[in-house]
Amino acid sequence: MSADVELQNVSVTFGSFYAAKNVSVKIKQGEFFSFLGPSGCGKTTLLRAISGFLDPSEGKVMIGGQNMAGIGPNKRPTSLIFQNLALFPLMSVADNIAFSLEVKGVSKTKRRDRADELLELIALSGQGDKKVHELSGGQRQRVAIARALAIEPEVLLLDEPLSALDLKLRQKMRTELRAIQKRVGITFIYITHDQGEALTMSDRVAVMNEGELEQVGLCDDVYDFPQTPFVATFVGENNPFYGKVLSVDKDMVKVESQGNAFLAKAGKIDEQNKHNFKNGDEVIMFIRPESIFIDNQNNKLDNNFVAKLNTIEFEGNLKNIYLNINSNMNVRFSVPNAIDTSELSTNKDVQLTFSSEKAVVLPKGSLAVD
Amino acid sequence: MNYFFNKNGPLISTYFIIAIVFWLIFLIIIPQLYMLDLSFRPNLPPLLRGGSDDVHTLVHYKHFIFGSESSDDTYNYVDIGVFFNTIFTAVLVTIINLCFCYPIAFYMAKMANPNTSRLLIVSLIIPFWINELLRSFALRILFAGEGVINNILVGSGLIDSGINFIAMDIALYTGLTYAYILLMIFPLYNALESLDTNQLEAAKDLGSSTFRTHWRIVIPHAKAGIASGCTMVFMLTAGALATPVVLSSPNTYWFTQLIYQWFNMNDNWSRGSAYSILLLSVSVVFVLLMMRVFKVKIGEIIR
Amino acid sequence: MRSQYVLNFLLGLYIFIFFSYLFGPLIIMSITAFNSAEFPSITPWECFSWRWFNEGKIAYDGQHLAGLATDWRLRDGLIKSLMIGIGVVILSVPIGMAASIVLTQVHSRLRTIFYSISIMPVLFPGVIIGISTVVLWDRIATIGGEGFVADLGRNGIFLTILGQTCFISTYCFLIFVARLQRFDQTQEEAALDLGASQTQVFFKILIPYLMPAIASSAVIAFLASFENYNTTVFSILSDQTLTTVIASKVRLGISPAISALALVIIILTVTAAIIYEFLRRREDRRKKEKQDQLIYEETKDSRLKIESKKKFRMPKSIYVILFTLILSFFLFNQLIKKGLYGSECVIAAETEKKSKFSDQLKLLQQNADSLDDKSLEGGELGGNKDYGDIFGDSNLFKDFGGFDTKEDD
Repeated sequence: MSADVELQNVSVTFGSFYAAKNVSVKIKQGEFFSFLGPSGCGKTTLLRAISGFLDPSEGKVMIGGQNMAGIGPNKRPTSLIFQNLALFPLMSVADNIAFSLEVKGVSKTKRRDRADELLELIALSGQGDKKVHELSGGQRQRVAIARALAIEPEVLLLDEPLSALDLKLRQKMRTELRAIQKRVGITFIYITHDQGEALTMSDRVAVMNEGELEQVGLCDDVYDFPQTPFVATFVGENNPFYGKVLSVDKDMVKVESQGNAFLAKAGKIDEQNKHNFKNGDEVIMFIRPESIFIDNQNNKLDNNFVAKLNTIEFEGNLKNIYLNINSNMNVRFSVPNAIDTSELSTNKDVQLTFSSEKAVVLPKGSLAVD
Repeated sequence: MNYFFNKNGPLISTYFIIAIVFWLIFLIIIPQLYMLDLSFRPNLPPLLRGGSDDVHTLVHYKHFIFGSESSDDTYNYVDIGVFFNTIFTAVLVTIINLCFCYPIAFYMAKMANPNTSRLLIVSLIIPFWINELLRSFALRILFAGEGVINNILVGSGLIDSGINFIAMDIALYTGLTYAYILLMIFPLYNALESLDTNQLEAAKDLGSSTFRTHWRIVIPHAKAGIASGCTMVFMLTAGALATPVVLSSPNTYWFTQLIYQWFNMNDNWSRGSAYSILLLSVSVVFVLLMMRVFKVKIGEIIR
Repeated sequence: MRSQYVLNFLLGLYIFIFFSYLFGPLIIMSITAFNSAEFPSITPWECFSWRWFNEGKIAYDGQHLAGLATDWRLRDGLIKSLMIGIGVVILSVPIGMAASIVLTQVHSRLRTIFYSISIMPVLFPGVIIGISTVVLWDRIATIGGEGFVADLGRNGIFLTILGQTCFISTYCFLIFVARLQRFDQTQEEAALDLGASQTQVFFKILIPYLMPAIASSAVIAFLASFENYNTTVFSILSDQTLTTVIASKVRLGISPAISALALVIIILTVTAAIIYEFLRRREDRRKKEKQDQLIYEETKDSRLKIESKKKFRMPKSIYVILFTLILSFFLFNQLIKKGLYGSECVIAAETEKKSKFSDQLKLLQQNADSLDDKSLEGGELGGNKDYGDIFGDSNLFKDFGGFDTKEDD
């Protein structure tokens, strides 16, 4: 059984400080949904508002169509996995998992059965009698998940659960979490600052900044069609070309930047509509590093420009190439390691090209700070 | 308030509130306030209390300072004398205690290896599990006219007849110093332990004498411990009852004994309350003084 | 470097003096418990006897000094002390726990005031607390008229429990505060989130965590109550606890029975300390073994072999114990040889004293007939030093500062 979650104009204030401002979003039941954003953007606040640890100052939190105002965390159909896991150190693993059943008065045998079931789900069968401190980090992670699932909540909330793990373990857990979610079928609401995590695991993602919702959508939509400069630069890498609108023709915009005239697509303002630009508007044109190519007989696309080479950085499977236009703007793009870049030398001009289909124009605004 | 009840559940909240109100209001604040009030009332037999004669008066405090009408003296030299003697002795005992305990605390904190200091700590605690009365009694055995010390001194021919330690107050001072050593050592020890030993070595390396090292480096660091120890020792000494009962001479009176007398011998509870308030005021003043002089806060009590 | 050696030597000497100051009186007092003489002393050594632990001295001169086993007052006081101790624990531990938990839940401004009031009882002299309790409840009893309230307000045990709870709650409070500081609040939230009610959170999460604090504060509360004198002596009214019994004994009649009592207490506390230390060391060792086992399992590193159980090594203290045993054995032999041990010795000494006493009594009769005021004016009792042996310390009443000799206004 899983439920949908809806936030209607939710704001949370502490004194005069807005931790979350006018957030509205509909999370579908059975969905793996992520809130993505830098530290302090309000995602933890929203999570606590959904789970019931704080009440929104304005707006409504609805779960399964029901208004949750005044309902405490122990009465909501949600389970929260804390960032520090908050496992009970004085209890065994099995007791931890079966805790939510214990408080409801379920009999000992039934509790034991359910605990064994879940131990199997998380691949820790037979370890039920161990104490929490005897487990490794990844194992504890899984126990926390099992504990939260024991009561069969309609919504599972996860507060940056993988941030304390090392890289390899994190990658492994990403796949596991996704698999568990698919198997159990309940709504997962996941918060993180790591956009790689959000994009690989989620169905949809919501990008937040300073308490406000910047964009909500499918992962590839958010990546390919960012709606604000913040989203464009927070999710993945991007090259921002500051410029002015020269002309507008239906969905395409001609932008003058760095002495070049570029053709690009008008960015979306929401799911359906695109921005309406007028001549002379100040805009930023974004083109992702992976969409820029070296101009040669194989690559001939409708946008061209010249830049001076700074450095080439070897990253394993990719080579990152850093360039500079007119000494005032840095551009970067990547090529697969296999590509031959031997004829490029520092301070030499390089001819570059990209397609207008991949370039997005957005109104001028603040970028995600590095 | 609502938030409080929500957070703890109705049952537990009720328990909390009852327990805390009972303790703070009923056991701490109200008795003291009542005693304060009583100190300002005349000493009436039970039937007349609460009646027309029961007004606020300074008669007991006046008695402390001026004595009764029947005596010839301008001031109540006896009571005032006892009061100041008590305070003066308490201060003296505190200082002696401090000087006495400081080397030991320093040794335990800095110079001994961990096993030794653990052993020392345990051996320090043991005597203090024995009741203060019995410890004072042990000293009495030693100091009495027929006591062990006198027996040894006379027996070995060093002196002719027993020294009256008790009348000379030596027994009392020794007893008081003895009683609260633990309370001086532990704060000192804790404060000294937190001092970085490297600082001492650096000082020595720069040519500082032992005295200077202590005066300029160790003692300022241990300020909080010194303040805490001195406060506890002073207050317990000034308010001591057991040790003076066992070890004092007829010439020396302790202020607490005076209070006891007013209460149980003379049945003058109001006067006893007044004198108690005086004692309490001294304690409070001393604590505040310590806090001011040493610039420490109230959260420095150890047990 | 010589000054360093001198300093070290002085320090060692100082420490030696310090600890003999600390332990000396206690050791001497313990020895006096075995001397059958009526005033606790080491010289002259009358007989080695157990009398002060048992029947005491049967009066032949009108003065009966009871031994530990036969002293009903001690037994009575002990029972009252136990009752009060239990009562204090029952009240102080929950109060301390409640106060410490609420402290974590209030605003920071209220918190300082709250904390300060909670600490105050420790800063009051114990006598003040006792007095204020008695004074207040006397008033309540008077207002309450006849009946239950009046009886309660004048009941020494009730008042003592209240008075002691006042400041012993502070001790418990401090212990709980220390334990709570390291509590992970998110555990409470997690429990709530999993469906527990607030009451369940309290009993299933908080109380288990606080168990060590509950245990230690109960022990401390009991011990503090048991040995308290300053507050108790005022609040106990007409009743007696063990400490007030001891105090009155010390006032009225110094006898080695008190030394005997002290020695019993010393032995009890030292034994308790040793047992506690032993248990703690065993617990530490067990924990360490478990830890090693875990690490071994995780790393499966053959270099990290688990140490096989060390064979039992003799602790160095065994030498001290052996030495003491040998010494006492030797002493024992000497005592028996010199006939200073056993009931025969005591009986012999008593007979001797008895005859001396009746002799002196006759002397006194004779003197009384020819007595006039002048010879009574001496400082000492009767002027005859011999009386000193019989009535114990002849300086007893002269030196004793108690309460009785102060003039009234």
